[in-house]
Amino acid sequence: MLAVRGLRKVYEGHGRRVEAIGDLTFTVGAGEFACVVGPSGCGKTTLLRCVAGLLPPTAGQIEVDGRPVSGPPRGLALVFQEYGRSLFPWLRVRDNVELPLRSARVPRGRRRDLVSEALASVGLGDVHHAYPWQLSGGMQQRVAIARAVAYQPRVLLMDEQFAAVDAQTRADLEDLIRSVWQRFGVTLLFVTHDIDEAVYLGQRVIMLSAAPTHVAEDLPIDLPVERDQLTTRADARFTELRGHVYAQIQAAKRAEPSEV
Amino acid sequence: MSGAFRRAGLVLGLPVVLFVVWWFASYDSKDFYRPPLHKILEAFRDTWFGERMVQDVLPSLIRLGIGYAAALAVGVTLGVAIGSARWLRALLEPVLEFLRAIPPPVLVPIVILLAGIEDRMKVIVIVSGAVWPVLLNTVEGVRAVDEVLADTCRSYRIRGLARLRHLVLRSASPQIMTGARQALAIAIILMVISEMFAANNGLGFLVVQFQRSFQVTEMWSGVLLLGLIGVALSLAFRFVDRRVLRWYYGLRAVERQPK
Repeated sequence: MLAVRGLRKVYEGHGRRVEAIGDLTFTVGAGEFACVVGPSGCGKTTLLRCVAGLLPPTAGQIEVDGRPVSGPPRGLALVFQEYGRSLFPWLRVRDNVELPLRSARVPRGRRRDLVSEALASVGLGDVHHAYPWQLSGGMQQRVAIARAVAYQPRVLLMDEQFAAVDAQTRADLEDLIRSVWQRFGVTLLFVTHDIDEAVYLGQRVIMLSAAPTHVAEDLPIDLPVERDQLTTRADARFTELRGHVYAQIQAAKRAEPSEV
Repeated sequence: MSGAFRRAGLVLGLPVVLFVVWWFASYDSKDFYRPPLHKILEAFRDTWFGERMVQDVLPSLIRLGIGYAAALAVGVTLGVAIGSARWLRALLEPVLEFLRAIPPPVLVPIVILLAGIEDRMKVIVIVSGAVWPVLLNTVEGVRAVDEVLADTCRSYRIRGLARLRHLVLRSASPQIMTGARQALAIAIILMVISEMFAANNGLGFLVVQFQRSFQVTEMWSGVLLLGLIGVALSLAFRFVDRRVLRWYYGLRAVERQPK
């Protein structure tokens, strides 16, 4: 469903040359939930922007649904890290979720159903008419997720979603993501710097090295499908996987070139 | 409740005081050029509530309306184009700076030569002055579109007219409204000035006419009427502004709250 082959991204400008991504190759199968973790500054956001077609790679190829990406691909939705800023402040919640569908010329009746379903699935059935800035950070996040879900993407990308919300909200949102993924059968690529979160959420954790970035390890997460905050996190296997990922990230950090 | 009274008192207090002072200070004025306020108000009623409303006030307001609407349309259209294309901005900026620096009243004699003295001239004069604040503010607004929102549109493949309508215009709307507010004041001034130069009806024409024929009281009443029209239009503008930018004022109020 999603294939990244030999991806390389170098930022150039003002006489400086920053190699954000060295050589990345991985694939994510249809309906799979993969998490990407790596030390900070390893180009996670750059990777997502390349996959989303918002940033042209320096070298390499990205395919979504069998087609090479040269601009924002059809059937792909990205939930931005700055979720609050990604909502249109002049549109009410409902219109925010509906706008991409209107633009895609989805008929009105269908649109209404999709928007209502998406908002209900993130637990926001009752704030259709609020403006985004009237909501809390966690709720804004849900609106952004609802908008992505209503768009019916085959591939859903999420960037550092929960960095800015409190721990309670974060746990709720993590479970929400799991339920959304199960309910809509979407292919999900979730980028985070939080190791616990990556292990808890995904079927797979793709660990990145420090820049110039490559895949350090691709680890299947063999935890049961039904997960919850209490039992899963107390599971001995969870602790073991988490420890393994942690060690890998630490190793990646140490390998970081010291000059920069 | 008492808050509302307080606010009403603050808003209306000074105008009422000024009115009362004017009323009594001028009450038994014998000065021909400074008639008593009650005489001016009498003249106001007799002069404006009748034929002149249709023959002079209405034409003025129509010119103003057409000129202002055209300035908004031209300003926003060009502003969006210039704000969206860097090369266009670089190309036009020096010329725009020059044109903007010309005081619009000096254009009146030129426009008379080119467009005659009819309504067309007055509308052109109004547009030529009122278009600048709209244009320049629109350019700034369009340039300041939030990057994340722009990426959101790209990512959801919101393009063309939908992008223009839901992203560019809405996000520039606070600046556009700022420009529109300044343009309204300029448009009123230019409406009067263009009528003072050459016209056979209209408010500006009449005020000059009264002055030349020593109908001083009527002249004062014309000034009063222009002031009242200005206030009424600015109140109407405020009303529209609060509706169009509801989201903006709400957002700002939320942002100002201590976290």
